Amino acid sequence: MDPIEKLERKREAQRRLRAQRQRAGLLRGRVVAISLIAFVLLWGIVFAQMATGNDPVLGASTPTTRSGSAVAKEAIETTVPKELEPEANELEPIEEEPVEVEPEFEAEAEPEIEFEEPEPAPVTTSQS
Amino acid sequence: MSAEAHRDFACFGGRATVHIRGETTQSGEEAVDRARERLLDAHQRLTRFSEDSELTLLNRDPRAAVPATELLQTLAAAVAEAGGRSDGLVDATLLGGIERAGYRESLGEHRPVSLAEALAGHTGRAPASPDPAARWRLVGADPEAGTIVRPPGVGIDSGGIAKGLVADLVAAELGAARAYAIDCCGDIRIGGSAGQPRRVAVDNPFGGGPLGELRIVSGAVATSGISRRCWVGPDGAVAHHILDPASGEPAFTGIVQATALAPSALLAEVYAKAALLAGPEAAARWLPHGGVLVGDDGEAEFVGIDSGTTAIAVAA
Repeated sequence: MDPIEKLERKREAQRRLRAQRQRAGLLRGRVVAISLIAFVLLWGIVFAQMATGNDPVLGASTPTTRSGSAVAKEAIETTVPKELEPEANELEPIEEEPVEVEPEFEAEAEPEIEFEEPEPAPVTTSQS
Repeated sequence: MSAEAHRDFACFGGRATVHIRGETTQSGEEAVDRARERLLDAHQRLTRFSEDSELTLLNRDPRAAVPATELLQTLAAAVAEAGGRSDGLVDATLLGGIERAGYRESLGEHRPVSLAEALAGHTGRAPASPDPAARWRLVGADPEAGTIVRPPGVGIDSGGIAKGLVADLVAAELGAARAYAIDCCGDIRIGGSAGQPRRVAVDNPFGGGPLGELRIVSGAVATSGISRRCWVGPDGAVAHHILDPASGEPAFTGIVQATALAPSALLAEVYAKAALLAGPEAAARWLPHGGVLVGDDGEAEFVGIDSGTTAIAVAA
């Protein structure tokens, strides 16, 4: 192999290596960005839930609280695999999540009303 | 959300009222009907005004140990407890005295008098004392043998003790209720898992509006007094149904009504009657959980509590 051809092959190898590193960096950046967006969205939902006074822990029924946790867990599970999909499709499920979650939390407001039981009827103590 | 069920009916010579809120409206309605049946059944078995009630048959039985139902055994045990708790002031073995005073059957044959007339017709005032014979000590139940033990001839007057006792027994069966009040002619047991305070008005023996209002979360309240059932006896003297155990005569102590708080209705009844019998000087000592005293002059004294006080849960 003459020196010119050897130099050309070396340059080609370096170019491929740079391109490979660039792609890896791009992918890594996307994964980090999507994770941050998902994190902020989920905690935003939780913050909104708590700020409106619908703390699931304070709800009367345990099943309702468990339901809220299950929804949050499901949201995380469905978000993570989609990070590997093309960028255009990745954000769509995350944006839909509030629509799925909010009705669950709104349903929790009902048991709180049960605490407001009517006052018991008054009685009179008199000579027996 | 369930609604509170109510029943008001004649029982134990007065009016009984039952209020129950269950987990559901239907369960409350069912519970209130069961409570009503239980109260009426107890009245039928423990009244001394019926010839064939269990209590009448016991009082007439010549045996020293008499087979008895669980309810009657519980009453016998309550007689002993009432005597012990009140140092003998609340003595349920004064049946002979109350019958001699004219309270034998109904009071229809006697001329009723108002409280003011009764107080004016009896000048002396003195605290009551226990009967030295302390016959209540001789009354007891033997659950193993299923008998009541007492000397033949010692009659038991169920009186207020039975009302408080039965209110407690009925309340003990309402563990699942959100809120309840078993009002057995003024002896009231209150409770419920909701922990809500219930307003309790204290009746004024001289008429008019209530003396005050308590708010009770759980516990009991009972009132003993001489404002009702005052009459002119066979000898022309004014009489009523609360006797001085020492003399066997109606007690005029200077207090006409005492209301007591306690963990149970039976205990509240005992404290209330003991406070009335003890007279103005010693009455407050018989209200360890608080109460209300009304003197001859109509003045009300709140002991250990205030009218309209915040919610009270009487600890056992």
